[in-house]
Amino acid sequence: MKRLYFILICLSSFNQAAAQNTVNGSVRAEKDKQPITGAIIRVLQTDMVVHSNKDGEFALTFTGDTAEMEITAIGYERLRMTVARTAKSITVLLKEHVTLLDEVEVYTGYQSLPRERLTGSFSHIDSETFNKQVGVDVLSRLEAVASGLAVDRGTSAGEIINVRGINTLTATMMGPLIVVDNFPYDGDINNINPNDIESVSILKDAAAASIWGARASNGVIVITTKRGSFNQPITIDFNTNVRVGSKPNLSYIQQISSSDFIDVERMLFESNYYTSQINSVTRPALSPVVELLIRRQSANPAEQEEIDQSIDRFRGYDVRDEFSRYMYQRSVDQQYSLNLKGGSERLAWTASAGMDNNMDNLGAKFRRYNVRFHNTYRPFERLALTSSILYTHTVSGNGRPGYGEIGRNDQYIYPYARFADEKGRALPIDRDVRSLWADTVGNGGLLDWKYYPLDDYKHVSQRTSVDDILLNLGANFRMLEGLDVDLKYLFERQGTDINNLSGAESYAARNTVNRFSQIDESGNVARIVPAGGILDQRYTRLESNNLRLQANFNRKWQSHEVAAIGGWELRSSNTSGSSSRLYGFNVRTLTSAQIDFARQYPYINGGSLQLIPNVTAVSDRTTNFISYFANTSYTYRGRYSLSASGRRDASNLFGLRTNDQWNPFWSIGASWNISEETFFSNRVVPYLRIRATYGFSGNISPSMVAVTTIGYQPVTNNFTQGPMAFFQSYHDPELRWEKTGMTNLALDFRTAKNRVSGSVDFFYKRGMDLFGRAVLDYTGGIGPTVIKNAASMRGMGMDVALRSHNISGNKVNWHTNFNFSTARDRITEYYLANRNANNFVNTPSNVQVSGVEGKPVYAIYSYRWAGLDPQTGEPRGYINGEISNNYAQLTGSATQLEDLVYHGPATPTMYGSFGNTFSFKGISLDFAFVYKLGYYFRRHSINYQELFTNWVGHSDFAQRWQEPGDEAFTEVPAMVYPTAFNKNSFYAGSEILVEQGDHIRLQYINLTYDFGKTDPPAGPFRRLTIYANVSNIGIVWRANGQGIDPDYNSSLRRTPPPTIYAFGIRASL
Amino acid sequence: MKIRYDMTGIGFHKALAVFAVCLGFLSGGCEKYLNEPSDKSLAIITSLDDLQALFDHQSMTIGPNSHLVSADNYYLLDNGWESLSYEQDQRLYTWAESDVFRPNVNDWEGLYTRIYRANTVLEHLPDIERTENNQAKWDDIRGQALFFRALSFLDAVQIWSVAYDASTAQTDTGIPLRLEADFNAPSVRASVQQTYDRIISDLQDAIPLLPVAPVAKVRPSKPAAYGLLARTYLWMRNYPNALRYADSCLMLNSELIDYNELNASANFPMPRHNVEVIFERGSPAGQVLAQSRARIPESIYGSFDDDDLRRMLFFRQQADGLMAFRGSYFGSASLHTGVTTDEMYLMRAECLARDNNVKESMQDMNVLLETRWRRDEFVPFTAASAEEALLFVLEERRKQLLFRGLRWMDIKRLNKEGADISLTRTVKGQTYTLPANSPRFALPLPDDLLVYFR
Repeated sequence: MKRLYFILICLSSFNQAAAQNTVNGSVRAEKDKQPITGAIIRVLQTDMVVHSNKDGEFALTFTGDTAEMEITAIGYERLRMTVARTAKSITVLLKEHVTLLDEVEVYTGYQSLPRERLTGSFSHIDSETFNKQVGVDVLSRLEAVASGLAVDRGTSAGEIINVRGINTLTATMMGPLIVVDNFPYDGDINNINPNDIESVSILKDAAAASIWGARASNGVIVITTKRGSFNQPITIDFNTNVRVGSKPNLSYIQQISSSDFIDVERMLFESNYYTSQINSVTRPALSPVVELLIRRQSANPAEQEEIDQSIDRFRGYDVRDEFSRYMYQRSVDQQYSLNLKGGSERLAWTASAGMDNNMDNLGAKFRRYNVRFHNTYRPFERLALTSSILYTHTVSGNGRPGYGEIGRNDQYIYPYARFADEKGRALPIDRDVRSLWADTVGNGGLLDWKYYPLDDYKHVSQRTSVDDILLNLGANFRMLEGLDVDLKYLFERQGTDINNLSGAESYAARNTVNRFSQIDESGNVARIVPAGGILDQRYTRLESNNLRLQANFNRKWQSHEVAAIGGWELRSSNTSGSSSRLYGFNVRTLTSAQIDFARQYPYINGGSLQLIPNVTAVSDRTTNFISYFANTSYTYRGRYSLSASGRRDASNLFGLRTNDQWNPFWSIGASWNISEETFFSNRVVPYLRIRATYGFSGNISPSMVAVTTIGYQPVTNNFTQGPMAFFQSYHDPELRWEKTGMTNLALDFRTAKNRVSGSVDFFYKRGMDLFGRAVLDYTGGIGPTVIKNAASMRGMGMDVALRSHNISGNKVNWHTNFNFSTARDRITEYYLANRNANNFVNTPSNVQVSGVEGKPVYAIYSYRWAGLDPQTGEPRGYINGEISNNYAQLTGSATQLEDLVYHGPATPTMYGSFGNTFSFKGISLDFAFVYKLGYYFRRHSINYQELFTNWVGHSDFAQRWQEPGDEAFTEVPAMVYPTAFNKNSFYAGSEILVEQGDHIRLQYINLTYDFGKTDPPAGPFRRLTIYANVSNIGIVWRANGQGIDPDYNSSLRRTPPPTIYAFGIRASL
Repeated sequence: MKIRYDMTGIGFHKALAVFAVCLGFLSGGCEKYLNEPSDKSLAIITSLDDLQALFDHQSMTIGPNSHLVSADNYYLLDNGWESLSYEQDQRLYTWAESDVFRPNVNDWEGLYTRIYRANTVLEHLPDIERTENNQAKWDDIRGQALFFRALSFLDAVQIWSVAYDASTAQTDTGIPLRLEADFNAPSVRASVQQTYDRIISDLQDAIPLLPVAPVAKVRPSKPAAYGLLARTYLWMRNYPNALRYADSCLMLNSELIDYNELNASANFPMPRHNVEVIFERGSPAGQVLAQSRARIPESIYGSFDDDDLRRMLFFRQQADGLMAFRGSYFGSASLHTGVTTDEMYLMRAECLARDNNVKESMQDMNVLLETRWRRDEFVPFTAASAEEALLFVLEERRKQLLFRGLRWMDIKRLNKEGADISLTRTVKGQTYTLPANSPRFALPLPDDLLVYFR
């Protein structure tokens, strides 16, 4: 590193020297005549450059009689002047540059344009705003600062960023296109070090996004990384922080109390519920209380009393305390980042290195190392060569199991489970089979079949390492004034190596070995899967090649200004992978056992014939795109702008004739800067501009193919021993891309002295040819429905972005950012195969696209609730207007979609953020709220079926109806044994469990002290900042009265992310 | 406008031209690039192995069961009927005139899904060159496709059409004859005559292509195609041809199981893939025909002699004291609706009797029945006349081919000859009747398809 630094310094000080005439001068600010340090003085004829010293002085030598000079300095306006040879001493006065909100340049991934000339809708986040939050990832920071963007945490699509709402009905096709610098980023976005980011632009409307064509329907997020500039002294920036997260608050989990649970178990035991389990040949695991109750049956009275006491002791335990004590810890994340920048007149460079060292709440480690170089070399004036390389290496490991990762189905455990005894020794748990049986079968020859929560993770090693290399090469050649040609190339290769070893001692390995053990004639154990570890290895390689040839034309003459680009690009992205598993793996000798994966063996518990699990798989996917694109904007007299863009994409995804693959996307736009008109002279609003755009962008699902394709089943036909194939897709010549047309109308404004500035955008969009189910005559032979371009939807809303300088003083500053968005979507065309109500009533953990015409893409429906039966406490609903407790009908075809209560959308229809910055001298305090409004979610409650069979209990149990009269206070149904599936699904889907999702969250507080702004600067630093940050502070207001965080409601096991406290230092040299 | 730099002397137009040429150069070769498969595991059908794999899929040997549910080999008790989960099953049991099939997934959908598979194979075959090395396999696959298509057509015409009657077959409504894989093509019902013509031509095309001994009994074979063709002619009451093809089938495979050697204590005494099975196919018992519900009428159970092993091997007494069927050649609760040698014997015997060949007819019957009776108790049967022989054969056909998916058409075709078999069922005190030759012997189409057949 040292050596490299030395070379870079040499390069930067590389200067041409020629001595003829020398002119001495000084550069000063026009306003206060203070000297300006580091101003760049360039002789235009010779490209020779000098810098002003700390007194603002410089000396310039040149040949000839006169020299044309250009003087630039950060924060000042550029000045050109001619100096005569005769002048011996000159003073240059520079005007202070007034920074305006809208003067930012927005990079679209294809071109950089001043915001004032753009007709489209963009959100721009600069590095300062971006860095008010800390942490490893990039995208999570956007929610609190960007306009028009919300993260969906309520549906089954997963955590997906929605830019201006939802645009497709296919969950896998949601989410914006992420672009890093020039090209879509195919790798894991967490590879990017946030400290390397200069700015983020969000392209929201058609004029902004349609240049990205077939993948831009959901909006585009363009991340621009930091780079050096020419003629810049070397700067060194260092940033480090440590983030400490508290333990998650497990008391948030609405878990049934141990005492209640034990009462339920006793009741079930007396009702002989466990008899079939006790007698079952599969020997399912039973809870400790049930085991005690079995023993109690044959015990004498004294023993019975002892057993009762033991059972009662369990009432005092709470597994949440066990998890909190033994599994969870504080998380500690450390981040270090070093960035060097500099530039001579030929070379602009930046080099950075970053390291993250994290340990999460469960003790899982994550490390990330980044190294990045970016160089722009200008061998001569017309040519600029760019090269950049980013290397990322991440390693992550496993931690302890968290709440909801132990027990039945690896999810729930009885609430009185204990992990350690008084002396801290690990306690066993029967996880799949009864150890009472397992310890004796086969003359005790099986491996220990118990699970030890406290220790098991030590025998498991799950290691994922990612190596990502991103290489960018570019050449820009200026052919003429205003016309240049770019050739850009990007190569990315990301290798993901997953190495999961369940050691011989681990429960996973012991469980598999035991299950496939056989008892031979002599009653001894014979092993089909030999004892030893199980090693899973998975390797995925992503390789992406991108090539772009682009011509740029930028010219300004008299009142006309044209910026046009056009070009061709090629993208190819290949993902290949393989996975394998070794049984009987020995870590020391690296040997493993031979396994017959084709044969079925009986499970020792129950004898059902099973194949030994085989995960061997190979995958190979390629996506190719060829595109032509063009974008032009024309501005007349700085007032009227017109823009147009067009793009054609072709891809291999549909595998059709090439002619059919080409698809045009286009946009047009116009803007009018009213405040430039002579008739408009308004002191209150000195800047006012209106914009309008219209256009189309596309979306694509790599899983859709138009030809008949087949897949092979993993097993062969038992009788022919031949492979078995099934259809994966059916030949459909009509398949095409999804298309979204969007209209955008907007107003940009600024009041006097920049006090309030902002924009208001209205949008209306239509999604066409969306993939959805279409009904089909199944005589055709491919079933009753087919996925094709059959659905459509519309969406509308607005984005308001306001920024106000409430107090602007020398010492005290207060400004506010306010983002408010609305987005409503409606399905306008969709085929419903079945209008049975149960298809539309979702569960908290499974919120799917509803597909009802006239309703949002994700809608919350529920069964009408007629209260609890006053006699029995059982839930009741309505059938044909009559109160009913026929649950099969209530949840069956007797209840149709029309009979349901429609609450509203399941995704926020209003959302945004509200941030404030207060500063006093060097101290600055930031905080931001994020809010989501106008939507609904379904909360969890007691489900008796789950309680009896899967140990899942909800604390609502305590509020249940117990005797007549209780219905006046509670809506929680009585516990009735036996329970019925339909009864539980009726209650779970009823309207009383639907809550409003509206909430406001305090996202972060950031306190910064900037030494650099004090006088004199602190020590050797150009700038030194220390900061403290608190994030995930939590909800400050919510509409639901249950204390539920709607963003983290998908499972009963989830808790909101713990609050994180960070402290950090930023220093510049 | 002053252009300051012009070192290289490239003019604006020239620059554009160079750029355009570059673009043109780069876009050549697009085609190959765009035709690259997007996912290599998405196999495009390219080989005979791909096609065979489509047929080796287990779904090809699943059959319909609505004709079994409609026929009179069993009855339901009221509580059995009431506990059926689907209203359509309840309606099918009482021969309702509409809504007897569940939407989307039903016998019609299953049959036409297999027809689609056969058509897909037939459409892809010409793309694969038939060479000296692969011709046996190539022919075999084509034969299988034709066999599977004919089999599904034959099932469909049994379920949804009236019995074949040469005098009305030109106008009686048959089934849609889908001969192409295009799922967008509209469905049109052909006539019964056209339907049988297509089944016969498909089978006749298949016979020379199929092997005598297939790799496994789940694959069609030459004897299976002969057997199916014999069945087709029998249903058309073209007895000379039925005789001819049943005989052709038996020439290739005439083995019978000796029921004396079966293990009566097994849950399902009939072994799977036994020697009588020529082509195996299973129809699900579903809820209606499950052992827990379907009861065997005394008229059937009582017709077996105490020394007839079938009395013991075919039935099991249930907790309610009534009999349930356990004699499936599928060796499990699934019902065997494939092609078997016992059916061939019974077909040949029937045709011989109808041809006044009493001796040979009874000879066939005795060969068969000898293996069904207790070894020491069997006395060969005799018949005094062709009529007597025919009645005997038909009675034994009823007894031997229980739950084979043949009874529904037997009722229909025999009623055409004056057998006057009317069906009645009683549910919760209400009696439902299906009179002989009722048009309701052709089941209604699934309701959700009616929109396509207006």
